[in-house]
Amino acid sequence: MTGADAAIADALRACLVPLFGTDAVIERLALLAGGASKEAWAADVRAADVRHELLVRRAGGGVIHSHTLSLEHEYRLVSVAYAAGVRVPRPLAYLEDLAGRPAFVAERVAGETIGRRIVQRPELAAARAAMPAQLAEELAKIHAIPLDAVAFLGRAAAGDVVDRVERELDAADEPHPAIELGIAWARAHPPKARPAVLNHGDFRVGNFVVGERGLDYVLDWEFGHVGDPLEDVGWPLVRSWRFGADDLRLGGVGRVEPYLERYNALTGRNVSIAELDYWEVVGNLKWAVGSVTQSRRHLSGQERSVELAVLGRLTAEVEYELLDLLERAG
Amino acid sequence: MQDRPDAAELAQAVREFLETEVLSTVQDPRLRFRMLVAINGIGILERELAAGSAPMRREIAALTQLLGVAEAPDDADLRAQARSLNRELALRIRGGNAPEGTLAPVKAIVADKLRIASPRYLERFRE
Repeated sequence: MTGADAAIADALRACLVPLFGTDAVIERLALLAGGASKEAWAADVRAADVRHELLVRRAGGGVIHSHTLSLEHEYRLVSVAYAAGVRVPRPLAYLEDLAGRPAFVAERVAGETIGRRIVQRPELAAARAAMPAQLAEELAKIHAIPLDAVAFLGRAAAGDVVDRVERELDAADEPHPAIELGIAWARAHPPKARPAVLNHGDFRVGNFVVGERGLDYVLDWEFGHVGDPLEDVGWPLVRSWRFGADDLRLGGVGRVEPYLERYNALTGRNVSIAELDYWEVVGNLKWAVGSVTQSRRHLSGQERSVELAVLGRLTAEVEYELLDLLERAG
Repeated sequence: MQDRPDAAELAQAVREFLETEVLSTVQDPRLRFRMLVAINGIGILERELAAGSAPMRREIAALTQLLGVAEAPDDADLRAQARSLNRELALRIRGGNAPEGTLAPVKAIVADKLRIASPRYLERFRE
């Protein structure tokens, strides 16, 4: 361990004593992913002869973004979801001050998270077959969580996804006629309004842990918010989240129909494919602007990253899909 | 004028080096992924340098025609021109008075961008 790692290990051990007892020992600590906004650490802790494999998410040294949840709120949200029976890695503790920054500790889970592998690997074929119904089941559980359990999220008006996209585009200060066409289309085709529910906010392949039986865990809750349930239901259809398996509209793993049928059966919401068509367009709209915004994090120096830089150029992929959908919709 | 290699050739040399000599030595999966992203980034640069000003001139011609505005003088800054035309079109769409038949030329411009940024993505749409 380097000096900095040792400092974190000491701080972490002190924080974990209330959880695991005074004989807790940190056997291994490794930084899995750094970043200006968040760090992820793997920690193995031994206490009373039991080994605990933990994941520690800790704030990074950079600017905290207003459009994502704080670590504290993310921890509270995951805790509420866990209590509601949603498949999330078990949250263990929120640490207000882990060597100077907030962090939270959860059980560390194993499984596949890389999108391209989930849609391609032959040994995950059975998992893919099971996923449409499983995704619907998790969403139904998330969308059934009472809003008063997540009052800390605040209540941005549910109908304003398109306004949000427009504000985000204006902030990037770069003209994008393709995105404007998408915004105009979405405004001209307002969906049937539905009562707001808790949204995961980034429910798609890439944020799932997949094992041989299919979906094991739903990760990455930092975009959680209150909104139209179909914003979540339509999001995994976006072509970017099919990771090259373009023919399988549901995240490159399956067809939309069994997913929607299961969701409707569990929620009684009677969502039609036509409604999902609208939300797929809006999803592409969100991601087109999202990729512009992400590249700005690099360009502004907020988080220098070759991935974020190249993402700016890949905005054109999402715009092309968006325009293709508009053309088909007529 | 700089000596050869020209800009595209230099970018190609760096990409080939990363692909053939560096990539195989990178074990950490996250670092390997970022290396592939970086190699892709250099590929974009190579295609952009090789294409020169032709795509931007096509974009300016298409937008000029769509908006029905006068063409700028030959020596004008292409990037500034393209930006101002795009801004004008964006404002018209936002204001609810997009020119008739805006979608097709905008899609063609995005396709032209993809020929540089992600040519294989564009191929996936040819069914």
